[in-house]
Amino acid sequence: MNGLLLKSLDISNFRSIRGQIHAPLDAKVVLVHGENGAGKTSLLSAIELALTGRVQSLERADHGYEKQLLHRSALEGSVSVQTLLGPAELGFKALVSSSGVQSVSALDAPMASFFRERAFLPQSLLGQLLQIYQEAGSDANSPLAQFVGKLLGLDQLDALEAGLKPLADVRNVRKNVDGWQAAENEKSRFDRLLSDQHKIKDGIQAQIRTALAELTTTCASLGLAVEVSEEELGAIEAGLQGNTDRQALEELSDRQRKLASLRREIEFAQSTAETEANAAPVATEDTGDAYAAWQAEYANRIASFRARVEGLFPEASLESAPEQAAQTALRWLLAEQKQLSERARQARADIQRHKVARDERDVAHRQRDTIDEEVDRLPSTAGSLGAILAEISSFVTDETCPVCDRDFTEVSKVPLSEHLRHQVRNLSASAERLLMLGRTRSELQVMIERLDREIETIDARKPGEQALADIDRRRAIVETLIAELDELAEALAQGSQLRAADVAKRRAVSEAQSRHVALTAARETLSEYAVSIGGSPVAEGETFGAAVTRLDAQLVEQANRLDARLAMRRRGSDFIATVRSAVARRNETDAQIATDFASWQRADASLERAKALRDQGNVIRNAVDTVRSAIIRREFNERLNRVWRDLFVRLAPAEPFVPAFRIPVESTQRIQPKLITEHRDGGEAGGTPGAMLSAGNLNTAALTLFIALHLSVPKELPWLILDDPVQSMDEVHIAHFAALLRTLSKEHGRQIMIAVHDRQLFEYLKLELSPAFAGDSLLTLELSRGPRRDSVCIPRRYSFKEETALSVAA
Amino acid sequence: MSARLVQAIRARLQAADYVDLATPFKLAGVDFAFTGAMRGRDGRALDLVLLVDTTTGEFGDRDGERVRQRVEALSRALDVTGSRYVVTVILAGAILAEGIEALSETCRVLQVEGITLDPGGTPLDEAAREQLNDRIRVLLPLTLPIADIENSGSGPAIDQLVRSLPKYLNKELLDAVIAASIDGEQAVTEAVAGVIDQALQSGTAEEQS
Repeated sequence: MNGLLLKSLDISNFRSIRGQIHAPLDAKVVLVHGENGAGKTSLLSAIELALTGRVQSLERADHGYEKQLLHRSALEGSVSVQTLLGPAELGFKALVSSSGVQSVSALDAPMASFFRERAFLPQSLLGQLLQIYQEAGSDANSPLAQFVGKLLGLDQLDALEAGLKPLADVRNVRKNVDGWQAAENEKSRFDRLLSDQHKIKDGIQAQIRTALAELTTTCASLGLAVEVSEEELGAIEAGLQGNTDRQALEELSDRQRKLASLRREIEFAQSTAETEANAAPVATEDTGDAYAAWQAEYANRIASFRARVEGLFPEASLESAPEQAAQTALRWLLAEQKQLSERARQARADIQRHKVARDERDVAHRQRDTIDEEVDRLPSTAGSLGAILAEISSFVTDETCPVCDRDFTEVSKVPLSEHLRHQVRNLSASAERLLMLGRTRSELQVMIERLDREIETIDARKPGEQALADIDRRRAIVETLIAELDELAEALAQGSQLRAADVAKRRAVSEAQSRHVALTAARETLSEYAVSIGGSPVAEGETFGAAVTRLDAQLVEQANRLDARLAMRRRGSDFIATVRSAVARRNETDAQIATDFASWQRADASLERAKALRDQGNVIRNAVDTVRSAIIRREFNERLNRVWRDLFVRLAPAEPFVPAFRIPVESTQRIQPKLITEHRDGGEAGGTPGAMLSAGNLNTAALTLFIALHLSVPKELPWLILDDPVQSMDEVHIAHFAALLRTLSKEHGRQIMIAVHDRQLFEYLKLELSPAFAGDSLLTLELSRGPRRDSVCIPRRYSFKEETALSVAA
Repeated sequence: MSARLVQAIRARLQAADYVDLATPFKLAGVDFAFTGAMRGRDGRALDLVLLVDTTTGEFGDRDGERVRQRVEALSRALDVTGSRYVVTVILAGAILAEGIEALSETCRVLQVEGITLDPGGTPLDEAAREQLNDRIRVLLPLTLPIADIENSGSGPAIDQLVRSLPKYLNKELLDAVIAASIDGEQAVTEAVAGVIDQALQSGTAEEQS
């Protein structure tokens, strides 16, 4: 493409050009002249549009620029450029309408980008060139950095880098991505929920373990050969409900009754023996009488007392001796009283606590409902809405709402900005409130769980009202009995003495009657009985009383043991009930955990997807850095500096300092080319061009930089199109600049197109760029327009003319 | 025999294909005498270079006012004959700054001084040669360093970026940020936020479905 030459340009109703103009361009130099507003810039941008389909300088200023390209008086327009590639002709064209641009044929993308970057210097870019030196500094926003960026298409990379920067810090991500914070909150809400539920589950688990351990101990003490675990509860329960102990207890009661009847038989036999023996020991008659009198007085009372006590303790039986019986009864009664009071107290406390706990649970439920209600009322998007409103508030300048365009004073006396601020404050307060409510709710939930458990435990433990009444009744009976026993105490003591005396007497009688047949039989029966209940037979010399007492004690001891076993079985059943209810609760909790975990996973997956995108954004950003550094290093090399220096010295031969690019070598971050000046004869001057060069030479530096950028790469398109580049250069530089253009045109085959508005300058350039040899050519285009007529472009072609003035010299 | 500095300039210009003109020369019937006059060839055929020795020259070369008058007269003569010659005056030696300013209204003025020369009138070393070149560089051909084709840019910056990115990147994200990059950093931030937000929303949508 490096032989491609511009041939001609046709413009119809484009920007400030009204009507149609045709401009030939097939010359080595094309000079465009026109007063300000005549359409020079339109003409040059028409070339850009036809060749590339875009007008970059306008695009930067306004995105909707495409709709502004049509001349305001026209309905349709077009721009087209004809080019020559050797003998072949290539056309480029774009159609312009009020709705935009339609490119019919354009250069391919790399060529178009070469054109924009290195062949065409629009005024806006030149303006930027001039700015570069006004500000020192090498940061990302310095005019130099911006210029370099625009020139090399780095501004897009810069935008990417700066735009992706918020991704680096998660706080900025939250600020910029509306849903991020919400997703994080959602996830952490499920996190908390799950951890609460796990805690609850752990509690239940611990409860189950404790109950199982107790159950194990119970089973071990009962000698049940079962393995204690949650799965075996049925088997254990069956084992615990086995009625071997009950049967044993029933048998034992039978035996006790039998023993009691034996005793009565023996007593009867003895008393018979005594009566027979009474005749002999008269001396002791008093004793017997006194005892009989005492018995007459108290026997009934004692017997009834005894019956009542035995009624109270059906499994047990009292000794026959009233005093011992009284003592045993007292012991039993006191123990029973204590136990009953304990149970009654416990039951009352349970009932009390049960009620209080239920009230507390109600309160907690109501509080939770209140929170739920409030949460429902609070918009969950309060935070984002608040952020959006905060953004909007910067657009509120008066009382007109930027959203609906209505005057806010119609609605309220409060100023709109104040209203908006108030709303934002409310909304962000709502967002915080929402978080706070969430926390409180989860605390409440834990409390409700705890109360539920407690209530359930109490429910399992507490006796019914009926049972409580029974306990109370029984306690009353016990207390009555104790009181009665108290009353009887003296009588019993007396009776005891009497009885002792009586017994002593009877012993004597008994000894005397030892060989009494009935007693012997009784003794044998007793011995048999003793053997049958597993005890030793009545020994020689052992009294009936002692033997009976011994056997009785043995039975009582057995009964106690069985009682304890039965109690243990009951406790075991209680534990099983506890374990079952705990397992049920644990299963519920497990189900809830599964549901919440699924939600958590979804939230997590969402967040992970977003995080992956964020990471990719960071990858892009890092790549931007690398690519930009590579481009800058490639473009701002020694070759560029050499060309730039040459061009600059051409235009400013008297300036001892020349500008140059320096790229910091050590920097790994964003590479920014730095401008320095060097002394022309070698050595670095140190200062920036802005500090070292005069204003005129700064402009020279800017312009030569663009041309150097054009020259420092292969000539893909041999065009240099400059839009009014010398309006503020002083005369010296214009002369040199003209010489440079000539050099580029005539020695380096560049097709030069330059627009100027200054008439004198135009004339001067026309002279300076006159054709110098056969085949050299110059075209001038004079643009003009009037308020009511179409634009006019008058071309004039100058061809080579042999110079004769000097040949006449001597 | 002219001064060594003038010799050196003349030699340099001759090397750059300029030819000497005999002086004094006649233009529009008027004689013009200069220490030296040269003209270029081909592309520079319209370059008329006048040498003025401000240190030791004759023809009033040492007087700025007289030099200006002579150059203005020449300029007028060129105008009268309709000539397209472009005049460049090279002042060899020191001169006051005002002198250059006045002269530069009529023609291109280059000033050469302080070049170290050997007795034969050639620059003493490479540095001196380069100093001389710098002073009259606008008259010399422009030599471009050979372009490094290997390293020349390969397409627009954005294309280079896209090529350098790993392939696994989410295409939606990449397209969105690149499209937005034309509109500046704020647009990029919004675009990336939009894509991420969508990813978050799509998760929520699944949850609801």
